[in-house]
Amino acid sequence: MGRDHLSNDEFFAQLNNLFEHTRTKGHGSVYLTQKRLTFESSSTPPTPTKLADDPLWDTHPEQPLPILIRVSNNKSDKRPGTDRKDVEKVKLSTIVKPDELDVFYARYAEACKAGMSGLKKRDKKKAKKVRKKKKGGEAKV
Amino acid sequence: MPYFKTSVEWYDQSSLLLKARPTSTRISSKYTVLKPTSSKIKKRQQYAAKQASKPAGTTRTSSPPPQSQNPEEVTVTFTLKTYDPESGTCLQYETNKGAEVGRLIGNLGRLGRHMAALPETLEDISAPTGAEGVSTPRLDESGDVKIGGLPTDPKAGASTGGKKKKKGKK
Repeated sequence: MGRDHLSNDEFFAQLNNLFEHTRTKGHGSVYLTQKRLTFESSSTPPTPTKLADDPLWDTHPEQPLPILIRVSNNKSDKRPGTDRKDVEKVKLSTIVKPDELDVFYARYAEACKAGMSGLKKRDKKKAKKVRKKKKGGEAKV
Repeated sequence: MPYFKTSVEWYDQSSLLLKARPTSTRISSKYTVLKPTSSKIKKRQQYAAKQASKPAGTTRTSSPPPQSQNPEEVTVTFTLKTYDPESGTCLQYETNKGAEVGRLIGNLGRLGRHMAALPETLEDISAPTGAEGVSTPRLDESGDVKIGGLPTDPKAGASTGGKKKKKGKK
């Protein structure tokens, strides 16, 4: 990958943009992926190396490892007969250091909750009404 | 691999998979907004028409009929997938409820701790060495059996049951 990883702050800004874009478009996907960062770079501690005699070589690294988070949308092409437009593929990635993991996920959850607004909402009013009716009926009997 | 019915099940299995193969396993989640196709719209309209004609005959249902769906409403789903390319294990869960997103991302965070090789939760720090000592030999078994199927469930449930109860109380 030629691109650089974004800082966490920048990543969240761009992630919000991406969600916003999907929302306004009303069609499309956002992919979020997370995995252990397994290649060596100067800023990260060396990853555990594969040992032939230990089948569980990667289950007990000496130090906590950073996590790589990737986000992308789906590319789409213009199609005659539909209102679909050309959409460029957007790819974002960031590295979360082990000690920042909890803070990052708290923000991540907020960003996703805000971004995934199209999902079904809880029908609080209905549920309450039904419950009240049931309770009232039982009490009278 | 079929979809799991509950997110708890998905989380349990994913954490087991991550314990066995923390380096190669990845978790991808997909948030999709889909406009219905013309045939889907037609189907929905037909269904709505059918529903509308029905209640006239059957009035016994005390609860109000479910709100009629706009035929052109978009389909929105959130899918979680844990995949390990080495063993080919794929664990999936799909939802369309917005209320679940926060909890699911929280799960992702907890699974992230497995990936980062951090202790499972902050509460576990009190006895980290003891827990690791117990869990490492168990990993040995589950790492082999895991690929074949899911026979390690009871063991795993027993080992992590206490922690989950705590989480549930929060």
